[in-house]
Order: sequence, then structure tokens, then C-alpha cells
Amino acid sequence: MRIWIALLALAAPAAAFAAGPEHVSLASHVFVERVKPGPGGKPVTVREAPGIVTPGDRLIFELDYRNVGAEPATGFTITDPIPASVAFTGGESENALFSVDGGRSWGPLGSLRVAGPNGASRPATPADVTHVKWAFARPIPAGAAGSVSFRGVVK
Amino acid sequence: MWRPELIGLTMTRTKRLLASASVLAVAAFAASPASAAGTAAGSTITNTVTVDFKVGTVSQTQQSASDSFTVDRKINLTVSEIGSATTSVSPGQTAVVTAFSVTNASNATLDFALAATQLVGGTAAHGGTDNFNVSNVKMYVDTDNNGTFNAGDTQVTYLDQVAADASITVFVVADVPLGRSTGDVADVRLTATAAEATTAGTLGATVTQTVGANTAAMDTVFADTATTNGNVALDGAAFADDDYTVLAAALTATKTSKIISDPINGSTNPKMIPGAVVEYCIAVSNAAGSAAATSVNISDTLPAQTLFVAGSIKVNATVSGTTCSGGAAGGSYAAGPPAVVSGTLGTINPGASSGFVFQVSVN
Repeated sequence: MRIWIALLALAAPAAAFAAGPEHVSLASHVFVERVKPGPGGKPVTVREAPGIVTPGDRLIFELDYRNVGAEPATGFTITDPIPASVAFTGGESENALFSVDGGRSWGPLGSLRVAGPNGASRPATPADVTHVKWAFARPIPAGAAGSVSFRGVVK
Repeated sequence: MWRPELIGLTMTRTKRLLASASVLAVAAFAASPASAAGTAAGSTITNTVTVDFKVGTVSQTQQSASDSFTVDRKINLTVSEIGSATTSVSPGQTAVVTAFSVTNASNATLDFALAATQLVGGTAAHGGTDNFNVSNVKMYVDTDNNGTFNAGDTQVTYLDQVAADASITVFVVADVPLGRSTGDVADVRLTATAAEATTAGTLGATVTQTVGANTAAMDTVFADTATTNGNVALDGAAFADDDYTVLAAALTATKTSKIISDPINGSTNPKMIPGAVVEYCIAVSNAAGSAAATSVNISDTLPAQTLFVAGSIKVNATVSGTTCSGGAAGGSYAAGPPAVVSGTLGTINPGASSGFVFQVSVN
């Protein structure tokens, strides 16, 4: 419910600013991923709006973007902090960078380490991720659109 | 099963571990709203994404988008029996205890309505066949949290304000009827049903699932699971069984007599003539595999033609076959009529015997 309100709120200004100084329109979505019995009893995975959501449910966070300006957007960087009640579980769009320290340092997940007890450190796991970031090397041409997503689970 | 004298120490230690674990859990809670039961029901999860970009070489105003949803209430609870063995009881024993643990695995504080019921027939929790019911069944919460049923515990009909992830020990306390035999089994079942924790000190309404479409506010779904002991999934209730198994004493008494002396032959080949002294041996044996018998009272009416030999009663005599030897002076004699000798034997362990001895002279 709430998400649709949020979407409407987002959609309205995006449309209003499409011809104005606004260059980029964004729409953020959350889906709940459920496995349900499908035709012939075979389980199928479906995406649903976040209706009933309880701990343990699998989520997909998705951001749709569109360059609604007349010029290419360069240095295009999407930063997405993982909500506190969500554990990152991977499934991210390619070329993502991660932070496990609240956004201070970034890198591929395999390169990150987390301080453990007694001053030792261990390799970071998906559950340690606090932020995901996509920094696009190429400009987003005027009129171009795309989306990025990642998966998480409700703690 | 639950045997305070055997596992009281272990239980205490476990409780201590649990207590320190709770402290850790609280610390973790402070750092993050999540716990084992999960994010608290009613929490809002908001995801805010920011986008930075340039047009030409000029950094533009950061843009952001966000969405939110409410974490709904997941009702999950478990009831488990503590100890995984039957509780051994004696016929007529009062306040026999079985212990259960009720855990709120929901992501919200709840009340739990409690009910203690009994099987009628069928397989009991620990394998025997239920064949009797205990009486005067009551439920107590382990108020002092020491894992042992004692005077500090409170009789309850529901659990009040059980926090998410909390486990409460509930004792089911009952009386065993007299006349039950070794191996008789009574099964008791503790059922907990989720109720609203609306007001402290009052059992709230039974929790119901949200009917129909999801609402933006907090909804309620049942998430309890089915178990092999018959728990039904998704009903907002859970139960566990435990049982009492009777271990009775199985006593048999055998009375024998022998002539000690007569006035003519003395103690050499004495004959049953007037004036002869006869010794009676009442041998009491307790069958192997039974409960130890304590305070075994013996009472015997003397035949009219006999006269009690003063000071001849001996208790706790050694029994060999059906003959008694030794024993300690004791018991008492009432002249009557009818004349009666009586006494109390010490504890008779399973497989053991004890004798009651007295002498009379023949008129």
C-alpha cells in the first residue's frame, strides 16, 4: 500500500520536472519474493508487492532510473544503504561496490574484511554489507533508462 | 519428566547461562532492532536510494527515492516438554510436577492462554499407553525462574505479556489417585494459545489473523508449524505432552511359625503341647522393579489359645526364604481382647524383604 503511495508521489514530480531543470527521474520499488505452487504443482517464484511482510521474507529492492534531461548524465552513482532491519543477501546488479563500514570504504565484497574479536579480522560476508553502490563508468545518455536491484531478507 | 532432586543443579546452571544470554540479546537489540524472532511487528522498513551525477562537468543536486513498508506481525509459538522423560510417581502422591517451556517466537509481545488437558487412552508422551487421569490439575509459572516448582511460583491460567523471543517455564502440578499400579501412565498436555497483550495483568482476546487484503498498517499472520506430535500449523496455538508413570511398591507378606521350646523337651525337638513357645515370622517382600516401600505397618491379631510373650517383638528381621532371624526390639502389644501385636518396618527396597517376629505361648 505504502509503496504505491510513495510511487505516486515520486511519479508526479518526475513528470512535472521532465521538461524542467530535473535531469533524472527515479522510482524505488520493493518486492517480496515468494515460492508458490504453480501449474501442475510445480513451485514457482513470484514477485509481489510488500503486502504481508514478516521476518524471514525475501525482498528485492529495485531502483528504476531515467535520464529525462537533454544532456548525458556523467559520474552517475547510485548509493543504497541497506535498511537496518534487512540483511543483504546478494543478487545485486553487476558492477556493484560494497561497504561494510557504513559507507566509509568501498570495494568488491571479496576484498572487504570485518574486524573480529581480539583485533583479528575476517572476510566480509553478505550479511555484513551496510551499503551497495553502483558507479557507472559511462554517461547515461539523454532519454536512457535502466534499473539496478539487490536482494535482502527481513531480519 | 521432571525430577527436581536429580536435575535441579543442572537446571540452575542452564538458567544462569540463559540469563547471561538474555543480557547479550538485549545488547544486540540495542545495536539493531532485529532479534531471533525478527524485526518487531509494526516497524517500518524504509529504503532510501541516492543518485549523484554530473551534467557536463557540473555536479547536480543529489536525487533520492525511497519506499517504505510495515513489518507485519508473525504469530509463532512453541511448547516443549522439559526433561524428555516421564515423571515417576507413587499412588496417592500429591503435587507431582511436569515442566514445560512456552516460547514466544513471534515478533511481538503476546499473552498466552494456557490449558492443561489429559489424554484418555492413546499413546502417552514417552511411549506408554495412557490409562488413568491425574486429579486436581493446576498450572504454575516459574516465577522465581529457578527451574524448580516451589512455593515462590504462581498459579496461572495464562502467561502475561511474554516478550518476543522469551521462554517461560510452566509447571503442571497434579495429584495421583490411590490404587494405581506400577507402569500405569497418565498423559498431560499443555496448550498455549496466542492472545493479544493489550493490558498487563489481563488475558487479551485470542489473536486472529488479518482477513482479506493486506493493510498498510500492521497485519497479523500465523506462522506456527506442524509437528510430529500432532500440532497443527498456522492456528496460533501449540501444545506438548508429558506423562506421569506410576511406580508403586508391590508388597507380599508370608506368615510362618516354628516351635521354640516346650515344657517337657525344652528346645530340643519341642512339641506343640500346652506351654510350648511358638515364634511367628511375618516376612514382607517388595517385588523387584517396584518403588521402595516406607513405613510398612504390621498388625497381627493373636489366636485366642495363645498368650503373648512379653518383649518378644522384633522388627526389621533378616528374611531368608520364609524364615526370620535377628531383628531389633520394637513394636507394641495391646492386650485387647482381641490381643494384637503391631510394629513398623523400615524402608523395604525393591527386591528386598524385612521380617516382623513375635512369640506366643500355647495355652
